[in-house]
Amino acid sequence: MPIELEHIDEYRHRIPQRGAMRVPGLIYASGELLADIREDRSPEQVVNVATLPGILGHSIAMPDIHWGYGFPIGGVAAFDPDEGVLSPGGVGYDINCGVRLLRSRLDRRELDGRLADLASALHRAIPSGVGSTSRRALSAAELRRVLVRGARWAVEQGHGSAEDLAHAEEGGCIDGADPDQVSPRAQERGRPQLGSLGSGNHFCELGAVDEIYDAEAARAFGLAEGMVTVLIHSGSRGLGYQVCDDSLRTMLRAADRYRIALPDRQLAAAPLTSDEARRYLAAMACAINYAFANRQMMTDAVRRAMERFTGRADLGLELVYDVCHNIAKWERHSVNGDQRTVCVHRKGATRAFGPGHPDVPEDYRAVGQPVLVPGDMGRYSYVLRGTEQAMRETWGSSCHGAGRRMSRAQARRSARGRPIFRELEERGIFVRSDSAGTVAEEIPEAYKDVAEVIDVMDGAGIARKVARLVPLAVVKG
Amino acid sequence: MPRGYRQIDHTADLALEVWAESEEELLAAGAQALTEIMTEGARIEPRSERDVAIDGIDAADRLVQWLNEIVVAAVVDGFLFHSAAIQLEPPGRLRARVRGEPDAGARVVAELKSATYHDLELGRAGDTWRARVVIDV
Repeated sequence: MPIELEHIDEYRHRIPQRGAMRVPGLIYASGELLADIREDRSPEQVVNVATLPGILGHSIAMPDIHWGYGFPIGGVAAFDPDEGVLSPGGVGYDINCGVRLLRSRLDRRELDGRLADLASALHRAIPSGVGSTSRRALSAAELRRVLVRGARWAVEQGHGSAEDLAHAEEGGCIDGADPDQVSPRAQERGRPQLGSLGSGNHFCELGAVDEIYDAEAARAFGLAEGMVTVLIHSGSRGLGYQVCDDSLRTMLRAADRYRIALPDRQLAAAPLTSDEARRYLAAMACAINYAFANRQMMTDAVRRAMERFTGRADLGLELVYDVCHNIAKWERHSVNGDQRTVCVHRKGATRAFGPGHPDVPEDYRAVGQPVLVPGDMGRYSYVLRGTEQAMRETWGSSCHGAGRRMSRAQARRSARGRPIFRELEERGIFVRSDSAGTVAEEIPEAYKDVAEVIDVMDGAGIARKVARLVPLAVVKG
Repeated sequence: MPRGYRQIDHTADLALEVWAESEEELLAAGAQALTEIMTEGARIEPRSERDVAIDGIDAADRLVQWLNEIVVAAVVDGFLFHSAAIQLEPPGRLRARVRGEPDAGARVVAELKSATYHDLELGRAGDTWRARVVIDV
């Protein structure tokens, strides 16, 4: 059944409240992106989310929305603490999959002619690929500390600085983690994998600032044209998948007990006031912290590899910011004019807090939180900044990426027989991966042009363009 | 077509359609399909056995849990599915003796995160059992 859409303006499209919907839907998209979006079933998923108890405002979809399971990927929803629910399907399997950006004192010209070797050095430095493991498995006791301390644990072990923590969402460590809520199997999956990239769309990308759109914000974020940067995209690995999987079973039973009607079982949810929700929040917090620590460990590996490669200790590889893409958490927002604590679910969306918000690091507070939006490995990625408009409309949230245009199978078909590595090399991009299959699935044309997605966010005033990054050397999982 | 599977295009994920002559066969066919995808069709030697026990809410939940058992056995323990003797009891109980190849984790070349409940279909039409499962990859 086609979903009815009302066009509010060029970038905003409302799904009127109908049937079991408790709030309207709100999709951010350009006309062109909307045509793509209407071809899959993501609008139906926006409607499904709108039926969940205690949802506030709108069931929101970002312009990179696509068909997921449960929530659409690119979905944002906030829930009332008393009437609302918590849904693991609103977070996803890869809990706190996220991205971080490092700046440097290197100019891209200093790497001329050396990118192929540097790509290989990064590939050696970061364990990547299916089931990739760190060089040393954590003991059970160490893992528990990671689950509670997140990136702080890594810094305490000498793998980073206090400055890193100050420049991560939640300071790289979320409160409320309880390792006793993480199953033995999830812990077993987590022990060997800390500091590894994983596979699929995860990557470590050395790039350079190619264009600046907002000089003041770029200065605040320490970005300048020609500067070498590093993006790291990864999550909580097998531990997070297992936490999600374990919780779904509990939540399915809970939904039944609390009589929550589910249009899709993957939306299984429990009231935020229930014991089931409290236990999932405590387990999810562990996975969130694991992911923060994971990205911190890889940051350390990148720093060491780059120092070894260049023979320089003054590269200034500082963390610009670290954002979460898959998360549910308590945040303070304005609801009908009152400041209230609500539970925001972001599944394939980025927090985008505006200027002046106390959770934005002090050095960025005047301009707003950095929002990091990776594109594909052949074109570009963007740095944006959060806005007041996002605080008013989207629970301080923005898009998270380009969104796939082709299925993985289609991408493989399109890549068959083509020298993908050489094609990218001819464009000055050196790709390294243990899996030619992954690279085929991740070819640039498998993704929408992230610039179209960014233009919607910028045009709607949800997040403002600050800088564009272009890839130079990419390690693919 | 007594037993088989096909992959259905799904933008971000992977959807599988599996069919067989009984529900037990269907579960085995699903496990085999996932193993073929994860290993890109490697030959599996049934050199070891392990027991799997599931107490699902219903048949659909049992199917998802079963497929996830197969994925986790492969990626965590390196145990690759070959075949299984499966016993089912309503509403969602399963007891199985799985034969497969141990210590073969290195042959897993494609990562599957999890089977999901999204858009799950499981049912019988005539003599054929059929399921459709979306896998998060």
